[in-house]
Amino acid sequence: MKRITPLLAAMFGSSLLGVTAHAQDEYRIVDEPLELTIQMNHARYPVYDEEWPVEKEASALTGISLKNDTVGANMRTDENSGKTEALNLMLASGNIPDIVGSSRLKDFVNQYGPEGAFVPLNDLIEEHAPNIKAFLDERPEVRSAISAADGNMYYIPYLPDGKYGRAYFIRYDWLDTLGLDMPETVEEVEEVLRAFKTQDPNGNGEADEVPYFARQWPELIRLVTLWDGRSSGSDTYHDFYVDDGEIKHPYAGEGYRDGISNLARWYEEGLVDAEVFTRGSSAREYLLSENLGGMTHDWFASTSGYNRLSDSIEGFSFKAFAPPASVSGKRIEEHRRIPIKPDGWAIGHTNEHPVETIKYFDFYFTEKGRRLANFGAEGVQYDMIDGEPVFKDEVLNSDQPVNAQLWGVGAQLQARGFFQDYNYEKQWSNEFALEGIALYDEGDYLIDQFLGVAFTADEQKIYDRYWPSIRDYMLERQQGWILGNGDVMADWDDYMETINDMGLDDVLAVMNSAYKRQYD
Amino acid sequence: MSSLSRPQRIWKHLRREWQLYLMLLPTVIWLLVFLYKPMYGLQVAFKDYSIFRGVAGSPWIGFEHFQVLFGNDQFIRALKNTVIISFYSLLIGFPMPILLALMFNEVLNQKFKKSAQTIVYLPHFISSVIIAGIVITAFSPSAGIVNTVIGWFGMDPIYFLTKPEWFRPIFIGTGIWQEAGFQSIVYLAAIAGVSPTLYESAVIDGASRWQMMWKITVPAILPTIIIMLIIRIGNILEVSFEMIILLYQPATYETADVVNTFIFRQGIQAGQYDFAAAAGLFNAVVAFVLVITANSLSRRYSRVSLW
Repeated sequence: MKRITPLLAAMFGSSLLGVTAHAQDEYRIVDEPLELTIQMNHARYPVYDEEWPVEKEASALTGISLKNDTVGANMRTDENSGKTEALNLMLASGNIPDIVGSSRLKDFVNQYGPEGAFVPLNDLIEEHAPNIKAFLDERPEVRSAISAADGNMYYIPYLPDGKYGRAYFIRYDWLDTLGLDMPETVEEVEEVLRAFKTQDPNGNGEADEVPYFARQWPELIRLVTLWDGRSSGSDTYHDFYVDDGEIKHPYAGEGYRDGISNLARWYEEGLVDAEVFTRGSSAREYLLSENLGGMTHDWFASTSGYNRLSDSIEGFSFKAFAPPASVSGKRIEEHRRIPIKPDGWAIGHTNEHPVETIKYFDFYFTEKGRRLANFGAEGVQYDMIDGEPVFKDEVLNSDQPVNAQLWGVGAQLQARGFFQDYNYEKQWSNEFALEGIALYDEGDYLIDQFLGVAFTADEQKIYDRYWPSIRDYMLERQQGWILGNGDVMADWDDYMETINDMGLDDVLAVMNSAYKRQYD
Repeated sequence: MSSLSRPQRIWKHLRREWQLYLMLLPTVIWLLVFLYKPMYGLQVAFKDYSIFRGVAGSPWIGFEHFQVLFGNDQFIRALKNTVIISFYSLLIGFPMPILLALMFNEVLNQKFKKSAQTIVYLPHFISSVIIAGIVITAFSPSAGIVNTVIGWFGMDPIYFLTKPEWFRPIFIGTGIWQEAGFQSIVYLAAIAGVSPTLYESAVIDGASRWQMMWKITVPAILPTIIIMLIIRIGNILEVSFEMIILLYQPATYETADVVNTFIFRQGIQAGQYDFAAAAGLFNAVVAFVLVITANSLSRRYSRVSLW
């Protein structure tokens, strides 16, 4: 059976595409089968499996198969805290496999690549990877973003497709019940939230509504954008942002100050969930299904899914609405999917076949390879209909979410360098999510993202010495102000002085020098 | 005896007592592998450590990490918080298991004693994550039992877990609830070792139960109490940091951030192992000095000591 599968897969591929057997050789990298070792740690599906159908097909097409050599297979690399323990463990063990694939790989390879642990990819891409090269030529910002401080690229990134991440969601049916219009400005949002609080839209006779809630408390801070502040420059919370070619930190800006001041007022008035800091990830599930939550800022797809609650809560309609205009009249949606993730794969320094390996990486940037990495195996997960891959009904209608099914066959892995195809997701997105995305598309609310910098060893030292403490201090004050321990307006000058004394200027200086080196 | 040479005597001794040495062996191996061998790695506290270059290959930088550490106000604050939290835990938490053990000892109804003991041991076996979940729920301003009770007296709910002034009482109280019962086992064992003849003669002399407790039981277990105290003092910087991580918030860093959480955030999470090793080494040195001091004080004043 095992022997037949790749052959079968190859036959499916050729027969449905209507190409000759000869054309199959166009993906062949080696005449004799070659085996490379791989370390793979993943935020979502941690254990590499040589039997994944995607791996089987890739090795049938290219002649290269990957052998699992993962250290710390049960460790997930965490997206938000940036944990890379499994990678550290691998490095400490002294054995770097031929290929290292992981989420949160970028900082790791950019630190240890220049020390010699990973192979620089620039020349290899230039000479042996025409598809990756074409992609990088088309999107030069990718080349800048993934380069290390020495100017070399050490990993091939996972590149998400589709722009939209989070959006503002509100109970449309509550607005109707109370006879309110869709809020268009920050003032109107405040009025609506107050009405949610005081006019009993859920009709149970108690003022138990929670007007604004969030699963992650920094989504409360996100609202400072309504006062022209910023909360983050990327899809990571509390990150730096780029303002007119210069890197700044959002928590040192006046819009932020005004925003926090107003949010503290909202908090005191009960317009914001009193338990926003401790309620945690179950907030959305709990507050929506108990018919208590009014408004949030969360992911399009998963949040739209809650409209299934209309079965049990009459009239329930929780849908995206356009970002309200800020005090100066700007409408922005600060969060978006970052176009280049710090995830992907790299070549270990002991790899004896770097040329074959980069060709293998390049395979996933061919049309066929990309389809394989996105949709799984043809004839199993999807069929080609009118030249487009379309998921089979049993995949779309399974109890398991489509993305989880795909992880299970080795597709949509963040620990692989590939270019995502948004069509994969569109096919199973909830109608309300697509409606919301269309609304956001029309308004063009997204803003540019900060794609990160790579430090030299000296810059890294400055950053490590000062930044963690400053960040802690900023968050401590931030929560304090919201909770009413101190007044942001009165404390602001002291606060700015303290963060400057703590070395914010030095941190910004190294951020900016790295940024200019990388992107100018 | 004197006809045997020294090696011969040692050999003879080993032959005779080999079972004891065999039983000692696993612990010695454990100590060597898990506590002595890693000490080699402590040198990274004085190095610019790179995992790729390895411990031996990384360059020396002297006391730079320590300078950064002591130049950091947050570290100083964390150190202060550690000492304060530990001190109160010791002050309030240390007598609790002793009191529990004394009380259990006085309970006559065996059924009641067994069930009461089980109930107080139980929290020790629950994972910290679950304990933290229970605490967060209990102190929640909307649904928590604590605020519900406060509400009966007409007071406004308090968002306890974001108030710096409430963090330490909640944390210390949780620690006592979780561990006091289990820690009382040591004292119960010590009490069980007291010779019944002492109590019998005291009864003949007409002593009350109260007098027997204070005049016989407590003095008899005093050496155990002092040994436990010395060990506790040695661990004074080892606040159970996983519990703090689960319960604290940036809003409560002011009173909640301890040395170990500081190391975790700034060292481990940020991947600065050399810096974290420096902070950890500092912790160990302080603990070492404290144990030596406590031990010598105890030896001088109570003639009970670890060594």
